[in-house]
Parts: sequence; C-alpha cells; structure tokens
Amino acid sequence: MRTLWPIAFITFKEGVRNRAIYGISIFALLLLGANLLISNMFMQEVGKVAVDMALSTVSFAGLLLVLFVGINLMAKDLDKRTIYMVLSRPISRPQYIVGKFFGMVVLLLVTLLFLSTFAIISIQLVKMSAPTYFARFSWSLVFLSLFFATIGLVLLTAQSFLFSSFTSTSFITLVLTVVSYIIGQSLSDVKTLIENSQIVGIKISPVTVKVIQVAYYVFPNLSLFDIKTQAAHGLSLSVSYIFWIVLYGFIYTCLAIAFAALVFRKKEFP
Amino acid sequence: MQRLSLIVLILALASAQVFVLGRATEEKNLLPLYQGDDAVMPSPVLKVAVFEFDGLASDFMFLKALVFMGSTLERADLPTLVRTPFKREKKSISIIEEWEWKWLYGILDASTGLDPYFLDPYYVANANLTWGGGLIRETNLLLEKGSRYRNWDWQLPFYVGFNNFFFLHDNIKASEYLMEASRRPGGNPGFASLASKLAYEEHKTEISILLLEEITKTTDDEALKKMYLIRLGALKSILTVEKSVAAYKKRFGKTPRTVEELLQRHVLKELPIDPYGGKYYIDPQGTVRTTSEARLMPGTH
Repeated sequence: MRTLWPIAFITFKEGVRNRAIYGISIFALLLLGANLLISNMFMQEVGKVAVDMALSTVSFAGLLLVLFVGINLMAKDLDKRTIYMVLSRPISRPQYIVGKFFGMVVLLLVTLLFLSTFAIISIQLVKMSAPTYFARFSWSLVFLSLFFATIGLVLLTAQSFLFSSFTSTSFITLVLTVVSYIIGQSLSDVKTLIENSQIVGIKISPVTVKVIQVAYYVFPNLSLFDIKTQAAHGLSLSVSYIFWIVLYGFIYTCLAIAFAALVFRKKEFP
Repeated sequence: MQRLSLIVLILALASAQVFVLGRATEEKNLLPLYQGDDAVMPSPVLKVAVFEFDGLASDFMFLKALVFMGSTLERADLPTLVRTPFKREKKSISIIEEWEWKWLYGILDASTGLDPYFLDPYYVANANLTWGGGLIRETNLLLEKGSRYRNWDWQLPFYVGFNNFFFLHDNIKASEYLMEASRRPGGNPGFASLASKLAYEEHKTEISILLLEEITKTTDDEALKKMYLIRLGALKSILTVEKSVAAYKKRFGKTPRTVEELLQRHVLKELPIDPYGGKYYIDPQGTVRTTSEARLMPGTH
C-alpha cells in the first residue's frame, strides 16, 4: 500500500498541471451560468430544468475529464518513456497501475467536487428567483445524483485503464473508451428498444437480439448511475437501489482494474 | 503603415460582414417554407441517441415547440413572410397549418417520451393542440400518459376529463377522470359532485363554465390566461342566451325561432357580444349557436 501513494500523488500533480482541466472547468462554469438564463425560459417546471442543466453539466465535464485528461495521464509515461524509470524502482506493474488509477480518481473527485459546488450554487440561485417552482425539489436527491455520476465516471476511468493496458496508442484508448461510454449509456435503452421493436415499427433479426443481450452483461451499464430524472422531479428512490448500484459500480471497477493489471504484467514496451 | 492598413481592412471587413449577414438572413427568409414535413424521431430512438442527457434533450425539444408557437404570433404581423405558393386560404383565426399542428404534437410527444414527468409539454399541448389544432384524441393520449406518471398531480386528469366532456362528449370517461382528479392531493373535492352531474345534458354550458374557470385559476401564463378568459366570456354569453330561450319557452310555451324574438318580447334586453365576432342564432332544434368558430361550442357534433 505504501508504494501506491507516491505514484498516486505524482499522477494527481501531473493531472493538475494539465491545461485541459482548466478549459473543461471554465466551459462547465459558463454552462452553469447559462443555467440561470435557460431555466427562466420555461413556464412551469423551472426547478426541473435548473436541476437538469446543472447535473448534466457536471456529468458532461466529468466525461470530458476522463476522456481527455485521464487517458493522457496513462499514455504520457509510455510516450515519454518515463515508465522505464518508474518500473526500475521496487514497484510491481500491478502496483503501478493501481497507483495511477488512485491518482486519477483523486483528480476526478477534486474536480467534480469543485464543479458540484458551483452546480449547487446555480440551482440555489434559480431556486431563490423562482421558489414556487421548486415544490417537489429535494437536495438529497441532487447530492445522490452527483454521487452516482461520480461512481459512473470512476468506473469509466477504470475501463479506460483496461483499454490502455493493451492498446499501443492513446488515440485507440480514447476511441474504445468513447465507444464503451456510448454502449454503456444506451445498452439498456437499446435492449428495451429491440425487445419491443414492434412499437416503433422496425424489424430486428434474432441474432442481433442475442448479441445485444450478451453485450448487456459484458459492457458496464452506465445508465444505472443516471438518476437525473429522479433528482429533477423529486421522485423517491429505494435504499436497496442505492445499495445495489454502489455495489455494482465497486465490483465492476475492481474487475476492470484487476484485468488491466493482469494484461499490463505481460505488456511489452516500445 | 502596415498596422494602419490592417486596422482599416479589419474595420471594412467587419462592417461588410454585418451588411452581408443581414442580406443573407433576408434571402433565407425568402426561401419557401418547408412544407408537410411533420416527422419527428420517435422517442425510443431519441432516448438512445441522447445518452444520459434525456432530461436536457426533453427540455430542448420543448423549447423548440415554444419557439415555434412564438413564431406563429409573428406570422400575424408579417403577412409577407407567409410565402404565397404555400399559403392556403383558411377561415379560422389561426394560420398554423395542419401539418404544423401534427409536428407540434410529435415534438411534444417526443419531449414527454424522453421525460414523462415533465409538466410543461402537457400544459402547452392541452392549451394549444385542443382549441387551436383540433387534435383532441391525440392530446388526451398525451395527457393520459402524463397522468399515469405524475400520479401526484390533479391537473392532468382534470384536463383529460374536461376534454372528454367538452370536445368529445364522452361523459362516462370525463366523469372517471374528474373523479380521479378529485382524489389527488390539491384537487378540488367539488369535482366529484361535478362528475356525477355530467350525465345531465341540459347543464352542459354551466358545467363547461365551471370547469373552464378552474383551468383559468391554475394558469399562470398571461397569454394563456387571456385566451381562456375570452373562451369563458363566449361561454357565458351563450349561457345568457340559453337562459332567456328557456325563460321564453316557459312564458310563451314554444321555442323562439330567432334571437330577435327574444329581444322583441323583452325576454332579453340586449344580445351579448360574441368575442369571436360571430352572431348568435337558434337552430331548428332550439339550440343556441353562433356563426363564429363552431368547435368552441359545446353540444355541436
């Protein structure tokens, strides 16, 4: 454990130095400012729109962070050959992967905490300007939604680490992670769509249905972590749902990192 | 020297840009309006396409509908913008084409498909698609969906009840939904007794007024409120005429053939004004009608 922290710390420091993180943050802050303008265009459910905007902004910024900062952090050591220096020390390859992962997770948590604070401020500002439209609003659901989004992003980070353990360039890792995100977000919708294809009037071959059903268990189901609708409308959420989701996120993340460590052990460096 | 000429060039290009943009926008407005394209992606497909941002997508779909409704207000002021090759002479006040109503329904349906708990699209659908577009059954389908999801909200079943009663003359379904509305939190318990009265045909106008007053009370939007108040005024005028027809019948033992008879025999002091510019008349069955938009009138089939 003691060997992990220096790597995690260096990774975090490297990430903070990355300019992209500031660009993403400024972009997110602009969107949160726009929240005040956009939510006031609605007649009834101003609160719902404000929560939608704020939560979506944080999720989207987090996604950009994982894709453009996280993957870079992993690739840099390989591109700049600094990995030889790190691995010449008494650190095993799995330790290196886990340490890097922890560093990235800390970076993600700090950034998301910062953005969430501003998201909450933007919701609060809209709430103060139109308090009557926040009848069913609940802060705890907003916090829970932000927490779930964080778990989902940590999972995606683990997934990107797994990809970078066997690909040779960071671009391929990026493409695979984006694909994995798209599949993860839409898989359960696609599954519903193809299982009820007659509603929208499309014909789907039984082979496709089977492929989707298998993919459903292989790829992470990221849509489980999306409770923005529940948060926006103040709908109740059962404790057992929260429990199983958190457990699912934890298990899948560990699985991906364990796989990454396994593959990375045998990786040949250029 | 070089610096000065660059600055002059930039200033010239900037002003040219403003001028050209103006002309280009004008030209774009002169393009024929695209016609009849009322297709909207079905919401199950959209749901897949927008990843985790379906709430936000639903908001923007709804904004699109709002922008469209706003642009139709402009049409009345700018008749030249409605291109002649596609302009159809229509009697009604609205200059929204039939396919545009269908498109509006499609986009509101998609918006609520992405987020079925979102109240605003239901609200706008109920206010516009029914009175203006005549898409009563479609609107009710939408509202019934909303009523299923928003099971704490009395307004949506109330609207379904009203539409069934007022437009579709389905009193059984109307009373079912009014009962449902009365049971939900915030719903007026008086709806229940109103629901039981629906069976009596002769109180149609009065019940319509009561229900419409309830809708007006819960409307915050000024433009919508104004529209509802005009409709209420029309209904109240009809009620006045209907009441004097009943009084005439009682006094003279027969139905008046024209509204002028009511005035001549001093049953009615003066004829109320139809806010839609029509004239009241009595049809051979003895029902009071107006020459303005017929679909505003309860009891016309």
